[in-house]
Amino acid sequence: MASHFCLQYNRLRENTMRSIQEKFQVSALDLRLMIMSIVLVAMALAFHVATGNFLSPENLYNIAQQSAVVGIVATAIGLVIVARQIDLSVGSVLATVGVAIAYLMYSRGWHWVPASMVGLGISLAIYLYQGWLSAYLGVASFVVTLGGLVSFRGIAFLFSDGRTQPISDPTFLLIGGGLDGAIGTTASWTLGLIASLVLMVNTFQRRRSMHSHGLAPRPLLFDFMITGFFIVVILLFVGVMCSYQIQSKEEPQGIPNPVLIWAVVVAFISFIVNRTSFGRYIYAIGGNPEAANLVGIPVRWVTLKIYLLLGVMTTIAAMVAISRLNAGTASLGTGMELYAIAAAVIGGVALSGGSGSVLGTVLGALIIQFLESGLLLMEVGVGQRLVIIGQVLIVAVVFDVIYRRATGERL
Amino acid sequence: MKIKRSVILAAMVAAASTSVMAQLVGVSWSNFREERWTTDEKAIKDELAKHGATYVAADAQASPEKQLADIDGLINKGAKVLMILAQDKDAIAPALAKAKAKGIPVIAYDRLFESPEVFYLSFNNKEVGRLQAQAILAAKPKGNYAMIKGASTDPNADLLRAGQQEVLDAAIKKGDIKIVGEEYTDDWKPEAAQKNMEQILTKSGGKVDAVVASNDGMAGGVVAALSSKGMKGVPVSGQDGDHAALNRVALGSQTVSVWKDSRELGKVGAQVAVALAKGEKPKGAGVFSDGEKKVALQSILLKPIPITKANLDVVIKAGWISKDAACKGVEKATGPAACK
Repeated sequence: MASHFCLQYNRLRENTMRSIQEKFQVSALDLRLMIMSIVLVAMALAFHVATGNFLSPENLYNIAQQSAVVGIVATAIGLVIVARQIDLSVGSVLATVGVAIAYLMYSRGWHWVPASMVGLGISLAIYLYQGWLSAYLGVASFVVTLGGLVSFRGIAFLFSDGRTQPISDPTFLLIGGGLDGAIGTTASWTLGLIASLVLMVNTFQRRRSMHSHGLAPRPLLFDFMITGFFIVVILLFVGVMCSYQIQSKEEPQGIPNPVLIWAVVVAFISFIVNRTSFGRYIYAIGGNPEAANLVGIPVRWVTLKIYLLLGVMTTIAAMVAISRLNAGTASLGTGMELYAIAAAVIGGVALSGGSGSVLGTVLGALIIQFLESGLLLMEVGVGQRLVIIGQVLIVAVVFDVIYRRATGERL
Repeated sequence: MKIKRSVILAAMVAAASTSVMAQLVGVSWSNFREERWTTDEKAIKDELAKHGATYVAADAQASPEKQLADIDGLINKGAKVLMILAQDKDAIAPALAKAKAKGIPVIAYDRLFESPEVFYLSFNNKEVGRLQAQAILAAKPKGNYAMIKGASTDPNADLLRAGQQEVLDAAIKKGDIKIVGEEYTDDWKPEAAQKNMEQILTKSGGKVDAVVASNDGMAGGVVAALSSKGMKGVPVSGQDGDHAALNRVALGSQTVSVWKDSRELGKVGAQVAVALAKGEKPKGAGVFSDGEKKVALQSILLKPIPITKANLDVVIKAGWISKDAACKGVEKATGPAACK
């Protein structure tokens, strides 16, 4: 009897969620991103009330920078997970690549460009090896990259005997932010306005294309609200970054370089996902690898390419990380694989594959960093902090499961 | 006939064990992946060779269980002295019991475990903390201090902090020094220290005048955080004599790196091992009872050396770091004397 009610209740709830979706013609994905944004805003307000300086430009500037490395990796890890693979080795690879670049620059006196190219080469070689093992030999990627997690940390150590490799090249240091590592107010506002314009054009084009295909577009007001929401977020962000001024400087900072790099990565991966056949293949493989194979998608080759893409992103993240720290150390990125995976999962990437969005990983990375930063400002001890962050991950996944059931999104 | 043969055999065994076995020193490392132990190992080997003793070692690879098995193995190989770098100070107890039953002396190498028959050899970690605080206090007698501590899971982190407190206590009570931020650092990671420092700067509105960081790696993170806010000349401490840190000392972005010469530690370790194997009392041994359980132990605590701009030549002359590496990017005119 009770279970009967429960079932009915579930159906009822399912129906209400679906009717919300149908009424506004909003996809389950858009709705999820909006819910996450609201969570983020709520967290920010709560932390601000608790600490009094969470929403200060300085703190938000810090958080944006601190999230960038994990965020860059999470965008690519998201795709790996969508294709039903996993990568546990990314933190160790990041250290190997980072130490290699720093070593070539510091101990060998190389210019940063060739040093970074070698770093990219190492990263691609590593992912060619790991990708080949899991895509072509069919070894479970969990095992391959678990091995990688251990070995590549060792290789990072072997480079330079575990000695810290400091970085002092002023140009390279700009990549990681720092004192002069931001683009200034004029460029920030210009970029912000361009991004807003692109969003508007995008929405307009989508409406027109739906119309020309004989589909009824969403209510105008709703499209206006969604696009408007994202434009407001972008401009607010630019505004905050442009109101943070370091005492010894004459001009406010503007968007810090690591965040700009992160944004470019997100735009690039969004483009791949939405506009290229490679992107569609990834989702098709994640949805059903056998079916993807039967319709002629080169499953192995696509899987390998995803790993190579991850290799590129890991190199970029490594450059940002060592530049930010002003040094390459063998311990760089320890445990980062879990943060990147957590960011992707919190951002709605299903571990069972086939579903997830790039923007979700951005919000996921921000949620984790909000939490870390807020708890640190509240002076919560390190033990409690770990407990809370771990449990938030669980809450996010529980939400994910309930949400997917309610909206009928792929489980 | 039969008896005679067994007597000869016994005599041979006895002869073998006195000439070879007496010199066998068993070393159990906790985790050889950490860079610094290679330096220690070389020093131990060289010194043992001078005394005609043999070195056997095992690496527990960060596993306390494996370490117990390793020590069993070393005892079976006939080690006359055990030198143990414990992975876990409590889980090591069964191995100590075994060694005690066989009458094998045990040296707690660099990491303390408290058991009355153990010989404790290390640097004075509290002293490291004191030296760090002294150097910072001299550079900045008044102002807001941030304390960047080591990993909360490592007892050394608190020993260091206690040493720092001893030095700063009076100034804090007087109100000259105010501690505006204090954080443990997850796994002693430089990136974690950088994040914590950024957060402390936010919280205090950038009003930090000096930073007592407990090691060099974290000092690197702290310096990165400070320089990204355009804060130059804030005194920062560290320890270990990392090459990168010594370079920072030469450049002036770090005030002090407390240097523990692990080659000295390895050398003294070997000497103690040889003395204990012969049943002698090691030279310069004192009594240590400052541990958690206040057990009185035979011990030698080596004195660490604070390396600042003024005595940078000490590490260069000792061959710890080349002059080029220490003075990289330093302008000869304004740099420390050691770089000229």
